[in-house]
Amino acid sequence: MDLQCIGKSILRTDAYDKVTGKAQFVADIKLPRMLYARILRAEYAHAKILSIDTSEAEKMPGVMKVVTAQGCDILFGACIKDQPPLATDKVRHAGEGVAAVIAETERQAEEATKKIKVNYEPLPYVIDPLEAIAEGAPIIHERNHEYFRVPGFPPVKGTNIFHHYKLRKGDIEKGFKEAEITVEENFYYPLLSHVQMEPHGCISYWDSPESVRIIASTQAPFIVREIVAQMFHIPMANIKVEALYLGGGFGGKSDVVIEPMCAYISRFVPGYPVKLILTRKEAFTSSLVGRGMRGKIKVGAKKDGKLVAIEASLYYADGAYGDTGCNVVTASGFVATGPYEYEHCKIDCYGVYTNTPPVGAYRGYGHPEAQFMSERIMNILAEKLGMSQQELMRKNFLCDGKVNAIGQIIRPGNGNLYKCLDEVEQALYEVPKPQEDENFVYGRGLAAFMKTPMMIPHASSGAILRMCEDGSFNISISGIEMGQGCQTVLSQIAAETLKVPLEKIHISKHVDTQHSPYEWQTVGSITTYRAGNAIIQACEKAIQKMLETVAAIYHRHIGDLKYEGEFITSKSDLNLRFETKKLAQAYLSPDGHGVGEQIVTGGSYLIRNVQFPHPETGQGNCAGTWTFACEGAEVKINKHTGDVDITHLAVAIDLGRTLNPSLARIQMIGGMMMGYGATLTEELIFDDRGKIKNANLNQYKIPKLSQMPEKFTVKFVETPDEAGPFGARCIAEHPVIGIPPAVLNAIKDATGVDLFEIPVKAKVLLEKMGGKK
Amino acid sequence: MKTMQLTVNGKAHTVHYDDKTMLIDILRDKLDLTGTKNGCGHGACGACTVIMNGEAVRSCIIKAAKAEGKEILTIEGICEGNKLHPIQEAFIQAGAIQCGFCTAGYIMTLHALFTKSPDATDEEIKKVLEKHLCRCTGYETIWEGAKLARRMMKEKITL
Ligand code: FES
Ligand code: FES
Repeated sequence: MDLQCIGKSILRTDAYDKVTGKAQFVADIKLPRMLYARILRAEYAHAKILSIDTSEAEKMPGVMKVVTAQGCDILFGACIKDQPPLATDKVRHAGEGVAAVIAETERQAEEATKKIKVNYEPLPYVIDPLEAIAEGAPIIHERNHEYFRVPGFPPVKGTNIFHHYKLRKGDIEKGFKEAEITVEENFYYPLLSHVQMEPHGCISYWDSPESVRIIASTQAPFIVREIVAQMFHIPMANIKVEALYLGGGFGGKSDVVIEPMCAYISRFVPGYPVKLILTRKEAFTSSLVGRGMRGKIKVGAKKDGKLVAIEASLYYADGAYGDTGCNVVTASGFVATGPYEYEHCKIDCYGVYTNTPPVGAYRGYGHPEAQFMSERIMNILAEKLGMSQQELMRKNFLCDGKVNAIGQIIRPGNGNLYKCLDEVEQALYEVPKPQEDENFVYGRGLAAFMKTPMMIPHASSGAILRMCEDGSFNISISGIEMGQGCQTVLSQIAAETLKVPLEKIHISKHVDTQHSPYEWQTVGSITTYRAGNAIIQACEKAIQKMLETVAAIYHRHIGDLKYEGEFITSKSDLNLRFETKKLAQAYLSPDGHGVGEQIVTGGSYLIRNVQFPHPETGQGNCAGTWTFACEGAEVKINKHTGDVDITHLAVAIDLGRTLNPSLARIQMIGGMMMGYGATLTEELIFDDRGKIKNANLNQYKIPKLSQMPEKFTVKFVETPDEAGPFGARCIAEHPVIGIPPAVLNAIKDATGVDLFEIPVKAKVLLEKMGGKK
Repeated sequence: MKTMQLTVNGKAHTVHYDDKTMLIDILRDKLDLTGTKNGCGHGACGACTVIMNGEAVRSCIIKAAKAEGKEILTIEGICEGNKLHPIQEAFIQAGAIQCGFCTAGYIMTLHALFTKSPDATDEEIKKVLEKHLCRCTGYETIWEGAKLARRMMKEKITL
């Protein structure tokens, strides 16, 4: 295939908007008659609301309305309806919304929230998932088992467990009997904040009791539409949800976050747009958080390194509401094995209510937690077996004909882990490890992983193509541009398929549920894959339409015509050279009549045959596509302080085909640095009242420029995916997954110390290093 | 409410403010210069960086009163018409952008640095970049973009 656009490092199509400050984000929008909301937030992690007195607040200057959810019976959620728009009878996490003030200015609203008096009865609270499932733990949702839920999310009545995903393959007892060596460990992955640089925002405006316009910082405008329609029993068609540029998402703006609350409160001031922009503190305490897993893993192997059995339990501290976390729990179960074949698997993943902000999607979606365990345990097992970790990995990698835990047979088109490992191995080991010196010890570590986009079986992406009279194309999609570069890559896909220069493609910048085609949501790293295929389909239909019209004009068989982008030519008549742009509207023939019709086409793509997991075995064709990768890290550890310096991060990912090398590289590096943060510095810390202590960017430390390792290695392995656009696969979340285990394996290599928790604390490491001497 | 004058992107403005008004509020809310972003509101991320009398400052922690009579330059003021400033060009060429929320802050910081010291050393550049946060890029291309910007500004390279 001779490709013009695909595989080139095309510069971002949104770059001009962004370097000039013209790119619009929700906070930048001002509408006539706009009002501003501020929210009174719960100071308790768990408390009964005895009364709320808003009378003083109502008298404050500029105040239009004070809203509570007292008496409101709305509960929303896509899978589990367990959340009210504002707290009703009790608050379930510190930072939960209790009341809203809508005023003429943000400041007035803020001042008035201070005048609201809430009478609470504090209740015991729980943050840790294991404590939350222990006997006598405070029950966070008394009606846990009564909530409406779609099948597949079984609660355990009378407990805080709102979802239990179980996966069974083979016969676990037999498996461990066959095993000659067994290792078992416990792990902890803390709660994290996404820290998208843009805090969440939403503007909501009811123009009639039946119709609402919402502009939100969302990865999921169509989910917002669905939930809002359900909350207020209004037709979806009347709801216009708009999404602009997003200042980072990472999952923390997927599903719904503040939009249901905003829609609810703005309904009290019909005819006025109500704007709510979260402060950075609220982004920590009152949006979504991620991860928060305590897990146990036990694996058994033969002496020659063949893995035979795995038993794992993962407990997720999913926060106050379960809807956004429940599928993360399931996804982690799919990959608890890591990218290896085991004949016998018993995996249990629990979604547990706790008194923190709700957990939602967070770059990697359950995969980092599960494979933090699997990749550390491989390292520990290899040591016990007396072989290298790489050898153990190679012996057991999922590859052609192997069967993964959910029962899918792996095909060559799923990618090649061996090549990924070769690349990372070469990058890490090409020069010998520096010798331990007076101050430092050095180490190198590896991890492999796999990732699938978790989705409902009928999650689809649409595309609408319209040709303009000059031969350029408007293409609407509803993938959200949040930094990943989908606008650019999708333009490349369209230009390549239509055989026109990139400048002739304009991909819609903003999404609007009344005008843009349906898109489930921009999650799972699947926009390029799914929306890309929808675009290809729309382009092919447009080409077909153009050929048909030209065939009609010249009374020729369509098979005689050739589409060449700006021209359609004939195989038999070299003089026929028809300018395709004349077809954009119906064609005007020389004798003055119209032929054909507008070139407007649609495409829609979903991955076929994806199923929900079987309720008993947890198996099935639940993963639509897989991506395999390996990562590696080199560390330098200060022997006197225990400080870990990551000097090299490496990734080799089988992305099928590299559509845009420089965009793919930056995505890999950004992801690895996010993994860096999780490994060394990031963690939400709770005080003794259950409030987040470090809800600001000084104390919650994301990586800075100076922490960039001396070296990054980014390698692309290209085993084309059978269904991906031009063979490409999903890659965006992935690089975050393998970094924590790779770094901890490197620390082990350097110091001999096995760690099971992140972030790594120098003090703890130093202590353990002392113990090793 | 008090009243004061300041110059923003070469244009004089009279604005109302009080004790709690910050420079960022004047720029974004009163003058509709929304290219300056609020990422934290507490001086930790750099997204709100603008130039005040030649110095890069964090507009979210500058009291409005402090800006009285000052010359402010924001991201909207650095292009000449449609012609991009070399730092903007360098960021595009180096691929230093993902979501773009941090971008204006970085560009303004570098603008202040290179205007004062066109020969800023790598270390000096790193020092100013260190005060900014970017969650998307992992910094490699921002660092490349900054070095390219220095070269382009100095050699007056335009693309
Ligand atoms: S918004 Fe001013 S430093 Fe973050
Ligand atoms: S590009 Fe998104 S924060 Fe820097």
